This record gives sequence, structure tokens and C-alpha cells, in this order.
Amino acid sequence: MTQVEPLDAAGVAAALQSAAAQNLTVVVRGGGTKSAEPSGEVVLSTSRLTMGIDHVAGDLVATVPAGATLETVNDALGRERQWLPLDPPRPGRATIGGIIATNDSGPRRHRFGTPRDLIIGIEIALVNGRTARAGGRVVKNVAGYDLSKLLCGSLGSLAVVTSATFKLSPVPPYSQTLVATVSDIRRLGELARAVTDVPVAPTAIELQSPPHRLLVRFETTEQAVRRQTDLVRAICVERGATCAIVSGQPEADAWRAHEGRLFSSEGTILKLAVLSTDVADVLERLRTLTAERRVECEVIGRAALGIVLVRLSGDIGAQGALVSELRLEATGRGGSAVLLSAPLSLLRDVGRWGAPSDAMPLMRAVKHQFDPRNTLNPGVGAWES
Amino acid sequence: MNHAFLLELAHVVGPDGLFTDASDLLTYESDALVHLRATPDAVVLPQTSAQVQQIVKLCRREGVPFVARGHGTGLSGGALPVKDGIVIGLSRMNRVLDIDIPNLRAVVEPGVTNLEITKHVAPFGCYYAPDPSSQVVCSIGGNIAENSGGAHCLKYGFTVHHVLGVEAVLPDGELVHLGGPVLDAPGLDLLGVLVGSEGTLAIVTKATVRLLRRPEKVSTLLAGFRSIDAAGEAVSAIIANGIVPAAVEMMDRLTIEAAEAAVHPNFPKTDAVLIVELDGPESEVDELFAVVESLCRQCGAITMEVAADPAQRERIWKGRKAAFAAMGRVSPNYYVQDGVVPRTKLPDVLRRIRELEARSGLRIGNVFHAGDGNLHPLICYDEAVPGQAEYAERVAGEILTYCIEAGGAITGEHGVGMDKRAYMAQMFGQDDLDTMQLVRCAFDPSGSCNPGKVFPTPRLCGEVPGPYRPHPVERAGLAERF
Repeated sequence: MTQVEPLDAAGVAAALQSAAAQNLTVVVRGGGTKSAEPSGEVVLSTSRLTMGIDHVAGDLVATVPAGATLETVNDALGRERQWLPLDPPRPGRATIGGIIATNDSGPRRHRFGTPRDLIIGIEIALVNGRTARAGGRVVKNVAGYDLSKLLCGSLGSLAVVTSATFKLSPVPPYSQTLVATVSDIRRLGELARAVTDVPVAPTAIELQSPPHRLLVRFETTEQAVRRQTDLVRAICVERGATCAIVSGQPEADAWRAHEGRLFSSEGTILKLAVLSTDVADVLERLRTLTAERRVECEVIGRAALGIVLVRLSGDIGAQGALVSELRLEATGRGGSAVLLSAPLSLLRDVGRWGAPSDAMPLMRAVKHQFDPRNTLNPGVGAWES
Repeated sequence: MNHAFLLELAHVVGPDGLFTDASDLLTYESDALVHLRATPDAVVLPQTSAQVQQIVKLCRREGVPFVARGHGTGLSGGALPVKDGIVIGLSRMNRVLDIDIPNLRAVVEPGVTNLEITKHVAPFGCYYAPDPSSQVVCSIGGNIAENSGGAHCLKYGFTVHHVLGVEAVLPDGELVHLGGPVLDAPGLDLLGVLVGSEGTLAIVTKATVRLLRRPEKVSTLLAGFRSIDAAGEAVSAIIANGIVPAAVEMMDRLTIEAAEAAVHPNFPKTDAVLIVELDGPESEVDELFAVVESLCRQCGAITMEVAADPAQRERIWKGRKAAFAAMGRVSPNYYVQDGVVPRTKLPDVLRRIRELEARSGLRIGNVFHAGDGNLHPLICYDEAVPGQAEYAERVAGEILTYCIEAGGAITGEHGVGMDKRAYMAQMFGQDDLDTMQLVRCAFDPSGSCNPGKVFPTPRLCGEVPGPYRPHPVERAGLAERF
């Protein structure tokens, strides 16, 4: 296996063209925080694409290199009290390129969306040896096809992102999180629904289990944070929850622990996507099935968005059966159940993605146009299942 | 056009869904960019997705190009018919199919108007966020094609952020579903590139849109300034203070006068007005609105009016939204330009526009989304004066070069369509345009779906990989290989 570490977009394009000409497969690697499988004959690392964060604070935009970590970028933007409002796991290692390739996000997706919602311009390198730009450096722009959104979540299978431009947000002056604990998982789902209906503007409504907790974060002016927290606390108390409010370091610790529940070590992580009204039922079903199958599980999730992340541990066969059942449950509700990470044997048994949609032939056509020899990250896409 | 083909179309849509008489076709000769006109051979008005599929399959069989059309309010000639082609009008597909308030979703057909969605969900305290000025008449299908924005996209984003899924007919007649009411459908985000593709990739036959709950509080300020520069400083100060308003709009003296003459919004007679709107939870809005008022005062606001009730707010917005049409009160004709500059470059670019106004002898009104640098210069002319219409178009074109030079974009919301194809090569390099056309080749290899729009030169979707074989059209020297 050869590893290449190009210095710029032209270098990436040249490496890709050369690999394609020799019919070698290329796996693109950023911070290595997501499972990259299967491996390619050439590993293209973005680790040296780190120069030149171009931040225009007055325009609330920044162009950032693909190899920079999110933490580095946000440290730089923070000097002007702005930030790229994404909070995927492991920001100290996760790179901008990897975050775009996986369209990754975290609890604040509730308020700020995913990279796809924040990206306004992109530069990519293609296997035909060319580099290309789409979008630009202004938030409002409808000139040409928006390739930046197409690249978000494309798992490095179409082209290699070399830099991207994002719209930013001001760093809020104050932050506070309400932690509401209830006695069982069904109540948790119901509480999440109730909180979603309160006329407040949290940046995250996150569930975790066990123990069965709802974390509601507010980030704005201190007075507005306090008033909104009080409103939500009243609803939670009314519904029998035990409430605590954290700010400052304890708040940061609470969120780090929340992320760590799923992402602190290797293992199986399943992402369930359903309508938010189905979350309570899905959680209940999860509880029943894991008990039946004797599989251990931990859950976190974006309650109001219908995104539930489940960490499974235990016998692989039992996990496989559970994933299949949950997939039926999710697809029956118009959603999906995707394995974000899993042991290879489990992936072989049940697949990463579940049933293909009617758009798969079109996705294959797009892949073929961008990468006709299937050079880039072969085998990773849902359209290949 | 082949009579048998027309009969087949009539069979699909019924005799009252097919138009071929010259007088009936007149309506479809242009969209709202009326100086570009072309007559289609026929217009079909399907009522179901299945009919759209059958029409597209017939077109494919016969090699007939087609152009999808919503309500014809586009401002870039995106729905301009093509020679020897047909127009597929979606106006009869205008049903709201489903409303799911608990999940904040609605499913609509493409001919439903933008504002109709909000009307349907308003009783539940909800609304559909994108609000282009034409929202009373423009269709959601057209909004998807153009990725429409509106005054409130500074905070809430564009159509692409509010359309969660579509059912679409591909140029080969196949039906696909991209995205849906549930987030994170596995696979490529083809929806993200379909939205804003100006009808060149597929015909959307259903859309699932995201609804928002009405904010608890909305506060609107109308501030008059002695100069555009002073108003611009106020905008910069608001952003620098970490406040992202729901909308920040600016108008100059000429457009203020025009709006006043047309809809009497009672705007101050100043050189510039700023409309700043904040929305959200009451506690947050009240606190930040006080900051906004103080910043405007510090930057030299000479009048300040805070909307005391929804009626007053509506009056302020009426003045802003009527600005384009109102120009008819002060000039026999006008050309609406749509360009974007980085917000920090606004003063420079506005200065250049004022110099251009003096040099060209044509009056130029300025109304713009100041928060995101989206300019809408209105170039006044009189078509009765020979050559002045063409002159105005050239003047409008020069403003686009200012936008490009400032690092901006040639269109913020009206689209490239037919109107701005030539400017694409100024904003993008050939490799950029070729790469975008890879998407086109995947969706529409035969190039029959709204051909000739967006891109300055048509490209052939060659067979890749494999040995090079010149395409017959290429051999004839009519196109170059991609």
C-alpha cells in the first residue's frame, strides 16, 4: 500500500489521475475518526492540506483547508468570536474534509443543521486530474450546480475535497444546559415530544439512555438563556422529571460525557432515522428487543430531528438479528437504520445500509461520471449494496 | 411537430390539457423576463406524476426537448421554451397532499404557490420560511428549480434548506424519490444538487417541505439614514455585535420614492432606509432589539419607526416587496439585476454603481438584501428611445462584473437561466463548468431536459471511459467533447 500526502489541490488531482491511470484504487483519509473500509491500494491523506484559513469576520464566512481539524479551525475563528457551528465527535482529530465527506454533525444539529446546510463553496480534485470549484464565498448564490451539497455525505467517493467555504455563526455570549432525568425510556420519548412543543429556541435537544435523560441546551444572551431554561424546566418538572441546570465547566463535562457514551471506543454504532413523532415508539421497541436478544445498548439522539444513535455490544449474531429487526421497524416508518461503524463480520451479515431506494441507479450514474473507473473509496456507497 | 406525436400527448393529458394554437401558446412564450421570447410547438398541462412520466417518455422516444414551467414568474428566462420543443406546465398539479403538524412537514404538488403552503398551516401556528417577493403567485416547483430565497433567508436559509424530499421524473421518464420526510436517507445527496438546477435535471412532481413554528416574537424596525453608507455601517455594526437578524433590507432614495408612489408605505424621505427584523423567543428578541435600535442611532439614523402591530409590520414589508413593481411609477421601463457581493464590499460596489449611473445617464435604483450582500439594482430606461433597452441591459451587465470582481456571484436568487449564461464563464473556469456538467450527464445524458440553460456552451456526455470516438455532432463541428 502506498501513502501519498499532497500539499495542495493540484497535487491531489495529480495523485488521483496517476492512480486512476494505473487502475489503482484510492482510499481518502482525514483524521481517521470514521471507519474507512475497505482499504485501497493507495492511501491519500489530507494531513498536509492545512494551510490558509481565510476568515472574513465581517462577512461571517471562512474558507478552510480540508486537512485542518475542526478544533484548529474553530480556535482560529474564535479570535473574532465566531465559529463553524458543528459539533461532531472528536473535534480535535476530525478534519474538515472528513466532516464534509460524512456530513457529520452533533447535538447542535438541532439548531445549525449539518455541513450541507452551512457549506457555501467548495474546491475539489477529481480523478481526471482536474480541480474544480463550485459555489463561492457569498452566502447567497445560485450560479451553477451546487456541487458542495452533493459532496456532503458522498464518503469521498466522487472527488477529494481540498477546501471549503462555510457560513459561520457568532459565538453566543452565554450557554446553559438543562438535564432532565426520568424513570424509563418511554417517558423519555414523551418528554422529548413535550419539550419540542415549547416556544423556545434551544441549540440542542438531546436524549440519552441509560439513565434516561434529556439534555436541552440554550446558547444566546444570558437573560434569554435563563428565561428559556425556566420555561422548559417547568414542563419537565410537571412531567415528573428530576432537573439540574449546568453551565461553565460542568456543562462542558456533561456534553463530553454524552458524546463519550457512544464514541469513546470502537464498537457497533447504529443510526436510526425516523420521524420525531416515532422516536418514543422506537425507543420502546429498542428496549424490548435488546432485552429479548440480550444485547447491551446505549442511546443518544437528536430527539426533535428523529435521529437516534445506538451503541450495541454483545454477541455478534444477536446484534445482527437486532439490527435486522430495527431496520424493519425503521423502514416500516419510512426511515432507515444504517451501521455507522461495526465489526466486519456484522457488516457482512446484515450490510451497512439496508434496502436500496429507487434512486440508486441515478446515484451510480453520478458516481460513474465523476469516477468512471471506480478509483475512489470503492465499495463505500449505499448505491453499491 | 409530428401530428401523431401530438395525438399521443393529447391521449395522455386529454384534449383540454394540450395547446398548439398560436394564440394559446402566447402565454408560454416567456417567463417574467419578458424580453426573451420563444414559441413552443406545444404546451401540455399534466395533472399527475404518471402523466408527466408518459409525456417525458414520449419526448424521449421522439427526441423532443422539453421545458418544465411553474407559474412563469422566473426572472432569468429559465422557463423559456426551446425550439422544436414542448413546455410541460405544472400549474394543474396544485394540490396540498398532506400536512403533518407534529412533524412539521407538508407534502405538496409543484403547482402549489409558495404562500399557499403558509396559508394551509397558519391555523396551526406554522409557516413555510422561504419568502420570495413573488410568493403570492410563484410555484413551489419553480422555487425548487431556482432555489428561491427571500428577505428572511439571512437567518432561515433558502429553498434547499426547507425541501426535505421530492418525487421527480427523470429525463428518461423514470420516477425517483430523493430524500423524504425522514432525515438522512442513505446515499448521495442528489436532492442538494437538484434544488437550484433550474429545471435542467428532472421535473419535480411532489415535494416534502419543512414547516416552522411561528416565532414567539417578531420585532421590525424601519430606520431612515442620510446616506447609504451610514445605513451600511449600521448593518456592519449589527453583525459585528453577534446579532443575526431574520432580515435586513435596504432601499435607496429612488426606490423609496417609487414604493411611496405605488403603495404608500409611509417611508421617511431619506437617502436610505433600513428594515431590520428580529424574531425568536420574546426574551431574546426584546434584549437584542434594544441593541439594534441603539446601533442604528449610533450610526446616524435620523428616523426610527418600530412596528407596533402586525398591520404596521405588513405596511413596512409591503413597501419593500413592492419595490420592483413600483419602479413603473417613476420610469417607463426598468431592468432588474440580481448580483451578490460579500457584505463588506457593499460600500465599494455601491460607489461603482453610482459612478456608473452618472456615466451612463440612466437612473439606477438600489434595493437589496443588505444582510447577505444580494443587490437588486433597477436600471431605468425608456424603450421608446431607440437602442435604450439594449443599452440598459449592457449597463446591468456591467454591474455583474463589479460583483464578480468583488468576489461575489452573478445571481443570488433569480438564477442563470438563459439570461446570464454568458457570465458563467466569468465567474467559473472551464474545469468548474465541466465538472458541474458531469451531474447533468448523469441525470440527462441526451440533453433533452430544459436544454441551453445555465451553461454557456452545451456539452456532450461522452462515453467514459473507453477509446475516444467523435460524436456525430462533434464531427460536424457543432460542439466540443467533454
